[in-house]
Amino acid sequence: MQSSPESYRESVTRRGFLSQYAGSLGGVALAHLLASGESCGVETDAAAGFLKPGGKAKSVICLFQHGGPSQMDLFDPKPALQKYNGQAYPGGKLEVHFDKQKGNVLGSPFKFARHGGSGMELCELLPHTAGIVDDITMIRSMKTESVDHESALRLIHTGRFLAGMPVWGSWVVYGLGTENANLPAYVVLTDPGGLPVDGERNWSSGWLPAVYQGTPFRSGNTPVLDLKTPADLPDRARNVQLKWLQELNQGHLKRHPGNTELEARLKNFETAARMQMAVPELLDFARETASTRELYGLDNPATAEYGRRCLLARRLVENGVRFVQIYMKGQPWDTHSNNAQSLKGLCATTDGPSAALVKDLKQRGLLDSTIVMWTGEFGRLPISQGTDGRDHNRHAFSMWIAGGGFKGGYTHGSTDDFGYESVKDVVTVHDLHATLLHTLGIDHRKLAVQHDGRGTSLTDAEVTGAKLVPALLA
Amino acid sequence: MIFRYFRLIRVVCFEGIAKPLWLSICSFHCLFLMIFSLANFSEGAVADDSAKYSDAIAPIFKERCVKCHGPAKSEGKLDLSTAAAVVRGGENGSIIASHQLDESLLWERIKSDEMPPKQPLTGDEKAKIKAWILAGAPGLPIGSVHSGGDHWAFRKLVPIEPPSVKNRMPGLSRMDRFIEAALERDGRTLAQEAPKPRLIRRVSLSLTGLPPTPDEVEAFLADSGLNAYERMVERFLASPRYGERWGKYWLDAAGYADSNGYFNADSDRPLAYRYRDYVIRAWNQDLPLDRFVREQLAGDELPGYQPGQAVSGEVADRLIATHFLRNGQDGSGESDGNPDEVRVDRYTALESSQQMISSALLGLTMQCAKCHSHKFEPISHEDYYRFQAILAPVFPAATDSLWIKPQARFVLAPTKQQEREFERKLKDLEERAAKLKASLGEWVSGNRPRGVVLFRDDFNLETTLAARWSNIAPGDNHPGGSPPVSVDSEKPPAARRRGGRLEVISGITNDSWLTTMESFDWTPETVGESIQATFDLVETRLSDQSKPAERVGYFLATHDFDDDGRIVGGNILVDGHPSTSSSVIVDYPGKDSTPKASIGRTGYVTGKNYGVRVTNIGEGKFRLDHVVDGFPEEGSLTLLAADLPNGGFGFEYHRERSFLVDNVVVERFAALPASDRSSIANRDEEFRRRQKELESARTQALGLKNNPPFKISWATDVSAKPPETHLLVRGDYAKPGAVMMASPISALANRNAPFLAEGSAGGRTTGRRLALANWLTDPNERASSLLARVQVNRIWQSHFGVGIVSTPENLGLSGSPPTHPELLDWLSLEFIRSGWSVKHVHRLILNSAAFRQTSDAAEVPASPETRSLGRFPAFRLDAESIRDSMLFVSGELDTTMGGPYVPIQVNGDGAVLIQESEPGGHRRSVYLQQRRTQVISLLQVFDAPTIVFNSLRRPRTAMPLQSLALMNSDFVRSRSTAFAGRVQRHESDEQNRVRLAFMTAYSRRVTGQEEMAALRFLDEQARFYAPDAKARSRAWIDFCQSLLISNEFLYVD
Repeated sequence: MQSSPESYRESVTRRGFLSQYAGSLGGVALAHLLASGESCGVETDAAAGFLKPGGKAKSVICLFQHGGPSQMDLFDPKPALQKYNGQAYPGGKLEVHFDKQKGNVLGSPFKFARHGGSGMELCELLPHTAGIVDDITMIRSMKTESVDHESALRLIHTGRFLAGMPVWGSWVVYGLGTENANLPAYVVLTDPGGLPVDGERNWSSGWLPAVYQGTPFRSGNTPVLDLKTPADLPDRARNVQLKWLQELNQGHLKRHPGNTELEARLKNFETAARMQMAVPELLDFARETASTRELYGLDNPATAEYGRRCLLARRLVENGVRFVQIYMKGQPWDTHSNNAQSLKGLCATTDGPSAALVKDLKQRGLLDSTIVMWTGEFGRLPISQGTDGRDHNRHAFSMWIAGGGFKGGYTHGSTDDFGYESVKDVVTVHDLHATLLHTLGIDHRKLAVQHDGRGTSLTDAEVTGAKLVPALLA
Repeated sequence: MIFRYFRLIRVVCFEGIAKPLWLSICSFHCLFLMIFSLANFSEGAVADDSAKYSDAIAPIFKERCVKCHGPAKSEGKLDLSTAAAVVRGGENGSIIASHQLDESLLWERIKSDEMPPKQPLTGDEKAKIKAWILAGAPGLPIGSVHSGGDHWAFRKLVPIEPPSVKNRMPGLSRMDRFIEAALERDGRTLAQEAPKPRLIRRVSLSLTGLPPTPDEVEAFLADSGLNAYERMVERFLASPRYGERWGKYWLDAAGYADSNGYFNADSDRPLAYRYRDYVIRAWNQDLPLDRFVREQLAGDELPGYQPGQAVSGEVADRLIATHFLRNGQDGSGESDGNPDEVRVDRYTALESSQQMISSALLGLTMQCAKCHSHKFEPISHEDYYRFQAILAPVFPAATDSLWIKPQARFVLAPTKQQEREFERKLKDLEERAAKLKASLGEWVSGNRPRGVVLFRDDFNLETTLAARWSNIAPGDNHPGGSPPVSVDSEKPPAARRRGGRLEVISGITNDSWLTTMESFDWTPETVGESIQATFDLVETRLSDQSKPAERVGYFLATHDFDDDGRIVGGNILVDGHPSTSSSVIVDYPGKDSTPKASIGRTGYVTGKNYGVRVTNIGEGKFRLDHVVDGFPEEGSLTLLAADLPNGGFGFEYHRERSFLVDNVVVERFAALPASDRSSIANRDEEFRRRQKELESARTQALGLKNNPPFKISWATDVSAKPPETHLLVRGDYAKPGAVMMASPISALANRNAPFLAEGSAGGRTTGRRLALANWLTDPNERASSLLARVQVNRIWQSHFGVGIVSTPENLGLSGSPPTHPELLDWLSLEFIRSGWSVKHVHRLILNSAAFRQTSDAAEVPASPETRSLGRFPAFRLDAESIRDSMLFVSGELDTTMGGPYVPIQVNGDGAVLIQESEPGGHRRSVYLQQRRTQVISLLQVFDAPTIVFNSLRRPRTAMPLQSLALMNSDFVRSRSTAFAGRVQRHESDEQNRVRLAFMTAYSRRVTGQEEMAALRFLDEQARFYAPDAKARSRAWIDFCQSLLISNEFLYVD
C-alpha cells in the first residue's frame, strides 16, 4: 500500500507526466521517450520505487485469443465430460446465461495426449504447440470476474471492470520506457480483416498520456501514418526545410530558455525522420530465410496472415519494442454454436505460428528475455449451448505463457472434474498481472500513478487481492 | 418490527451516517445498541455512543498516540486529541472508514504494529479499537466520519478581502493581489506586461481558439486609446467563434459524442448535434451557468413543457439540454448478448451519467464508491447508490422491462412556428412526390417501348394454367424443386389463376419453381438486340392477414432444376428486394450457384411493372438490366453467352414469398439503327431522370416525417413512480442490497433542508432531478459553492493551461490542493454574484495583470516554475485549435455554424479523416463527427480524447508521431499550399509576402534578421526546384509549412 497520496503525487510529477501540467518538467519524460536503453537509467532515480532487481524479461508478446477459447477442448482434458456426455449436468452449481438454450454435458470430441519430456497434455488440434510444451507454462486454473466480453476484456487488459483504465501494455511501457526511440514502444498488430471486439480500447492508455497507448501497425505498406514525405518534396528540399524550421524554433526558444518541452519538439523532428527509415525496414521480410518463412507458415493460406504478424512481432522485439499484441478479427473463439468445427479451423490458423514464434525466439536466444502469452478473456462451459456450442464461463479458463523467466514444461493448477471452476492453485487475472510485472522487474504494488485521488495501479492489489504466483517462475 | 427499525435507521442514515447498520459486519450488541438508541430518539442515545468513544477509545489515543499525534506535535498532520480532529484525519486523509477495518488506515497501522512505533498496542487495546470501527465508530460527531465537512472545497463561500500588496503598479486588479501577495512572500512579483502583439494573440487564441487576423493585430497596435486592451477583449468575447471554442470545453466535460460507443458497432447518435448547438448557443449568449446546469439536469421537469402541446423555443432548448444526461455510452440499443451482458450495458449508461455529473459539476470522483466506501473521499457506498437513485428513473437499469433504448428516447416538441412550417413543408413534399409519380406514369404509358411479343399471358384465357405453365422446365423431364409446384391448385407450393391474375402461393422452405413451357433464346444474335421479360406486380401478399413477400423472385433461362443436367449456366434467379436493388444468382440452385452483383435500385412494391432485359453488347457479352415500368435502371451487370442457355421464364417459391402478378410478357427488341439508338438512349435517360426526381422527393418527405426538426433526443423519467434503487453489494449487479432513498452525497447534504423530490409539473416525472438541480444551484447550499469553484477552476485552466486546482475532475480531499485557495474562492463568489456570468469571470481574468504579463523566461530569470504565475506560462494549443488555426491562417476556414456533424471517413491506410472535398470539410473541429471509436487521426495525435466517459483536462504530449503528422500529413501540406497561395496572391513583392506570412501565422511583425533569413531560404529552395516553372511557389509552400509547424505557431505564450 502506498504510504501517502502526497508523496505519490510528488513521484509521479517527477517521473513527469510528460509536459502535461508543468511545461518545464516535460523534458524528464521526454528523455524517457527518446531515451536509448542506457539513458532509461536516468529514470531510475524517480522510478526506484517500483523497479526491482531480478526481472529476466525485457519485452512481452501477447497473442490474444478473443472470444474465450474452450479450455476443455484444448488444454484441460476432462474424462468426466465424456462419461456424462449428453446427460444432465451432474455437477453442482452452474452459471448459465442462455437458459433457454441450456443443454446437457458436452464431451470434447478431441483426443488428448501427453507430449515432450514434461508429458503435458494437449488436444490433437495443437500438434505444433505439442512441440514446445517443454518451453511453456500451462495455467489451467485461470479465473476472471465477468462473462461479458467487453468487461472481461477490460479485466484482463486493464485489471478493471470499468472502462477507461490503462491497459497492461501501457503500464509496462510507462514503467520501463523504450529501448528504441525510432519505434513506438508498444505496438499492436491487428488483423487486416478488421479490429477485434472492443477495438482500440484493448490498447488504450486510458487516463495515462496518449504516448503510452499501443500504436497499431496497419497491415500493408503504411504501418504508421504519415510515414512518407510528401511526393512533391524531394529529400534534399525536405532537409533544407527542416533546417529552416529549426532556425525558426531556435529563435522562439530564446524567449523560453530551459523549456525542455520546446527543446524536445526540436528533437522530435529528427526522431520522426529516423522513424521514416526504420519502420519500413522492419516490414521488409526479404532477409528472412526460407526455413523461417516455412516455420511461420507464410506460404500456407491458413496461417500466412497470423504467421506474418507473429514474425513481425519477433522482429519488433528484436528491435527493442517493449510490448507487442497480436489480435484476430472480431472474437473468433466465441463458439456459441458449432464449437468443435470452429476450433479445428482456429487451431489450424494459430497453432503453427504461435509455436513457431516460441521456437524462433528460443533459437535466437531471445526467449529468456521475451514473454510470450497465449490467452483469451474467459473460458467456456462444460455443457452445451444449443446442440453443439458452449457459452461463456468466468470461473475457469486456460492459458499458456512462455519465456522471460516462466517455467517450461509446467502445468499449473486445476479445475473441477468438469472444467467448470478453477479449484486448485487458482490464478486470477490480477495474479497474472502481478506475476507478469514481476518478471519484468516491476513491483506491481508500487507501479502506481495518482488518479481519482489515489495511487492507482494495474493490479490495485488492496482491492483485487492480486498476488505474485512464484510457482510459475523458473 | 424489523421493518420499523430499518425505517428509523434510514432516517438517520440520511442524516449522514456513512453505512446503514444492517449491511455492516456488526456485532449484535452494537446493532442492538444503535437500534435502541435511535428508537428512543433521545439525546441520550448519542450520549451512549459518545461514552463509548470517550470511555473506551479516547483514553487509548490519549495515552498512546497523542504525544506525537496531538495539538502540539501533529505528525503526519494527524491529531487524535479530539473527536473532531480524529474525524478530520491526517495528511493521508481519513483514518477511519466506519464498519470497514480493511479500509481504515488507523487499523492498518496499529494492526501491523507500525504504530505506535516503539511500544505497540496491547491485544486488548487493539480489540477495543477493532470493535469500535466495526461498530461504525460510534461517538464521533454524527455524520462526520468521512464527512469531509471542513474540507476547503465543501465550505460555503464567504466574502474575502484581497490581501494587501507592496506592488503599486497601475493595472493591478483586485484579483491580481492574491497572486502578487503570494509572489511577494517569495520575494518575487508579477512580471511586466507582454508586448501588444503577443497580448492580442493570447486573448484571441484563449477566447476563440483562433489567432487574430493581421487586420485585427494592426488595429490593436494602432489603438493607443484608453482601455484599448479591454475593448479588444470585448471584441473577441462577442465573436461567435467564442461559443464554439468554449462550448467545446463544456462538451468534453459533458462527455459529448456523436455515437453510442461500447460496442464495435459504435452506432450513430444522429440527433446529438442539437445538444452541441444548444451548448454553443448558451456560451455565446452567456446563459447564466446556474440556469444552464438546471436545464441540463432537469429541463424536462422545469415548468413550461406540456406533452402534445406546442412549446416555445426556450422550452425546446430545455428539453434539448437534458441530452446532457445521456451523453454517456449506451450500447443497450444493440445489445444482443445474454441477459447478464445486456444488464451490464444498461448499468453502463446509468453509471456514465452519474460519473459525468460528479466529475463535471461536483468535481468529485464518485465511481470508487460503486463497490465500497471511498477510501479518501467522504463518499460512502450508500452515498453512491442514493445518488444513483436520482438518475435511476431515467435509466432504470435494474429492470429490463422498464428500459427504453436510446433510439426510442426522444420527444417531438415543436414550436408553433415549427409545427406550421413542418406541416406546410411535408404537404409540399408529398404533393410534389404525388405529382411526379403521376407525371412519370403518364410519361411511361406514352413512351413505353414495344417489341415483338414472344409470349404473353394476361391470365384471362379460359384454358387452365397448366396449358402454358409447368413445374418442369422446357427440355427437362424432372419437376422443378421439392415438392414440385402444384399447378391449378391452392395447396402450397402452388400456382393458380385468380381474378385474371397469377397467384403464386408459397409457404415452404425448399426451392421450387413455376416456368413457362415455352423456351426462349436469351442470347439475342446481333449487337444492340435485346430480349425482355416483365410482369405487373399486383400484390405482395395474398390476403390482408398474410405477411408480405420477403422477396419477389423470378427466373430466366430456366432449363434444369436438378443441377446435374448437361447444360451449365442459366436458371438465373432474380431476387427482387422490397426496398433496394435486386440480387442475381446464376445457375440456381445447387452448389455451383454463383451470386452476381445486384442490379437496379428500385424496390418491389405493388402497382409497378418489373422485369429484366438482356441486351447483346458485342464481343460475346450480354448486359442484364433491371427494368421498371418498361425502362432499364442504372446498375446493370454483364453476363456471357454460357450463362444464358435457352430456357423458360418463371417464378420462384421459397419461404414467405407469395404474391400476385399479371401480364407476363416476353418480347424482343431489334437492334435499331444508330440514330434511333441515341433516341432510345435519350428516352432511357429521361426515364432515369424522372425516376430519380421522384425518389428524391419521396426520400425527402420520408426523411422529414421521420426526423422532423423538432425531434429531440432527450432524457426523462420513464414514469412518475420511481423504480426501486438497490445498493449493489460490492458493485455486483447480481447482488442487490437494501433499497436506497434518493439523495445527494451526505458530505454536502443540508440537514436543515432535506432533499425533497416532490414530483414535477404535470406529474410525468419523479422530480428527483429537479430537486438535485435546486440543491446544486441554491446559493444557500454548500453544493452551489462547490459548483462555482469547479467551474471557475476549469475556466482558469483554459486560460492558463493549468487550473488553480490541477485536478479539475477532483476538488475533493484526494484532489490536488489549490495553489491559490483564496483566489479561487474570491473568483467563485464573484461568479455567483454576477449572476453566474462566465463572461464576467473571463473579464476578471483576461483584464488582470497576471494574464497580461510576459511569458519570456529570459526576462524573468527568478521564476523556476510557472504555477505561482510569476510569468505567463507557455503551453501548446490543443488539437482542435491546431487544426482550426491552420485552416484559418490558410484562409480556408468555413465558419458555418450548427447542424448535423460533418462525417468522418477512414482511408485505405486506416487514417480517420474528413474528406476535404466534401461539404463542410473545412469547418471548425467542433462540428466534425465525434465518434467514440474513431477519433480523427490528426486530432488524436495531438491528444484529442477518445471519449469513454468525459474529458476535463488533456495531457499535452510531445511525441515524434506529432512531428510526422506535421511534416507529412496531407492536411498540413494542403494548408501550407493554400497559405502560400494566399500570401502570394495578396502581395507581389517577396519582402511583403514574408511580412504578411509572419503576421498571419505569428500575429507579429517579422524582425529584420528573420526577414533576411526567410528570403535566403526562399531563394535557396527555389534554386533547388529550378527549372520547374513553379519553383518559387513550391519554395513558398515549404516556407509556409515551416511556419505552421513551428513552436511559435503551436504555442500560446
